Amino acid sequence: MITLYDFELSGNCYKLRLLMSILKLRCDIIPVDFYPGRQHKADWFLRLNPFGQLPVLKDDELILSDSGAILAYLAKTYDETGLWFPDDPAVTSEVLRWHAVADDITSTASAARLALGFFYDFDIEKAQKGAHRIFRLMDEHLWFGEKMGRDWLCSPAHPTTADIACFPYVMLSEEGGIGRQDYPALRRWTDRVRRIPGFVVMSGIFPAGRALEQA
Amino acid sequence: MTLSLSDPTWYPIASSEDLPFRHVYQGQLLGRELAVWRADDGNVNVWENRCLHRGVRLSIGINEGGELKCQYHGWRYANRSAGCTYIPAHPADAPARRIENRTYPVREAYGLIWSAANDDQPFRPFAGAEGYDWFPLRPMPVNAAPEDVLAAIARLAPDDQPADILPGLAIRFGGTYYFVQPVDASRAVIRGLLSTQPDLATLRSNNETLSKLRDRLERLAARKPAPTPLQPAFDKVSADLATMPDIAIPRGNTITVVVKRKWTSADGVIGFELAARDGHLPTFQPGAHIDVHLPNGMTRQYSLTNGPGELMSYIIGVKQESASKGGSKVLVETVREGDLLSISEPRNNFPLRRDAVRSVLIAGGIGITPLLSMARFLDKSSLPYELHYFTRAGEQVAFRGDLEALHGKVILHTGLPRAQIGTTIATTLGQWSFAQHVYVCGPAAMLETVRDTAAAQGWPEESIHYEYFKNDKVIDDSSAFDVELARSAMTLHIPSGKTILEVMREAGLTVPSSCEQGACGTCLTRVMEGEVDHQDVYLNKSEKVSNSCMMTCVSRAKSARLVLDI
Ligand code: FES
Repeated sequence: MITLYDFELSGNCYKLRLLMSILKLRCDIIPVDFYPGRQHKADWFLRLNPFGQLPVLKDDELILSDSGAILAYLAKTYDETGLWFPDDPAVTSEVLRWHAVADDITSTASAARLALGFFYDFDIEKAQKGAHRIFRLMDEHLWFGEKMGRDWLCSPAHPTTADIACFPYVMLSEEGGIGRQDYPALRRWTDRVRRIPGFVVMSGIFPAGRALEQA
Repeated sequence: MTLSLSDPTWYPIASSEDLPFRHVYQGQLLGRELAVWRADDGNVNVWENRCLHRGVRLSIGINEGGELKCQYHGWRYANRSAGCTYIPAHPADAPARRIENRTYPVREAYGLIWSAANDDQPFRPFAGAEGYDWFPLRPMPVNAAPEDVLAAIARLAPDDQPADILPGLAIRFGGTYYFVQPVDASRAVIRGLLSTQPDLATLRSNNETLSKLRDRLERLAARKPAPTPLQPAFDKVSADLATMPDIAIPRGNTITVVVKRKWTSADGVIGFELAARDGHLPTFQPGAHIDVHLPNGMTRQYSLTNGPGELMSYIIGVKQESASKGGSKVLVETVREGDLLSISEPRNNFPLRRDAVRSVLIAGGIGITPLLSMARFLDKSSLPYELHYFTRAGEQVAFRGDLEALHGKVILHTGLPRAQIGTTIATTLGQWSFAQHVYVCGPAAMLETVRDTAAAQGWPEESIHYEYFKNDKVIDDSSAFDVELARSAMTLHIPSGKTILEVMREAGLTVPSSCEQGACGTCLTRVMEGEVDHQDVYLNKSEKVSNSCMMTCVSRAKSARLVLDI
């Protein structure tokens, strides 16, 4: 039985809800009042995750934290196709590279969002600048990817947990005052992610239109 | 050089490949934000990036192929015209085409999408544009003043081959053109065009050069005082374009169209494609019809079969009745391809709800036309529907190809005996449950069957939608009475044998009408006092009982006097 300690408005929690929905996994959700209740710093929560961060996932007796690590765990355990976190060492390292980028996006784009929407004391301008720097790199990577016939962040011809890890805080960037107008390839990629079968929404992340069927 | 909001120059605002189908691109030119999208027919739309409802960005809307839907409140705008086709909360479900978003001129050429702040100048190709297979480089957004960006690009030119500065913030050296898109006073996008198809290494090295240029420009710009951003006043769309229409719109405006194609769509059904002479035709809603003014002076209503956003031509189906007097016969027999016809703007008496959990469309014979349009809308929006089409024989199935292209449930019922039609309709409808709607169009007998069956199976009146084109009833015009026109301060006597409409016209009033047999709803009028003798087929039972409105073309009075809101 999988249990997710979840905050509805957290992009990191949403990553797990998204992958579980795509993999058709059921889970129990335990809401944690991250804001304004700061329950992730409460004693009972720190006993689950001493780092005091959401999300936390329990699979029977196993307790896991860090969204990137949990994505890898879920994919390796429950994805029979083996596509979401491929076994090939070269691809694995590529995926992990982008999990690290996802963390950079969290510390910039998500920080700006926390500062603007949740009144956290972060340097907003620095966070926004940092996010733009990453988005530029992603846009370039994705533009050249399109030229080479690649639709996703990593080289396989299908999405991986890397796409899921990077997606939410890109989509939520406007809430941190970070526009995406300068990143057309990045915007097209978000359309593709939103068309993955099993895609679910969260507040601030809406569905894309149906793709045109190729006759 | 200072940038001006009204600069009429055409600038590139996107690459063609920035606009894959079903995507909405976010652009900006001279301070104005743009929502740019390619419809399924290939047409590129450049619109102001605001939904007219609450100003939400349309670049986060949903491109449905023929319409763009606002993500937040569901307002929809049609391909080409940007006319609003749907307002969820509007009682009639069907806004007039007057509600239109602001559009900007657009041209797709040389791998780029071009636009301008206004229509003052025609699009002109840049010098040397023709004859090459252009390749657009990766666009490079730069946070620096457009003129500084242009000057810096010029310095990239090799010494022995100075740059050619061209009009419209453009530069050429060697086989490469660079266009600077003025996004705002302190922002620009460099759009390079190569005259040959490059390999990946060339693309990488170009990208590297431009990235370095950008970094340098941005460092410089950071040290200078930032120029004041352009301040586009969100000039409100003119009241004329943005106001909510009255329920009954007096018409008069006609549009001239060309008969582009005339063909036999099925045994007894002739298809007509009526094309705009230039530009596009007005926005319409599914279920809408047009009045066609026939060469013999008659007017007839025909439903549009088009799908969402198809505004280059209207397609109608006309029943070829050998016994028919006038009307359709003239159209079928004398109108040929290439002829001009005069039509009205589309009007909708048969609005489609898009919040239903189940929509059942039932067509009999030529009644397929409005339902085909509805099915196409539902299909494009991935809403569940079923279309039941009753014909006497298989050869009578009109628009067969179009029906086959639909993804919903399309069921053809051919050659059923009358009794079986009734039971089929009964099982098709089933018991009513919340948010189910049925739409029916066909012969009067079929309409009655659907209405009665639905009512018997618990369908409330508001969930049964139908449209009559003809009133088969014999109108009893033997009564005589007075009408008082409240607004015109006039009392008229209506003798037997004359309609209220006729007497009002004789008295010099201009009043709208179309079918003049109580079927189309054009002459709908509010009743303030008196008891109406309705004889139309337009109003439903409760509307008739309410005694609050009537059709002046056929209705009469049961009381000695009627007071009308005219
Ligand atoms: S003119 Fe058509 S209902 Fe009166």
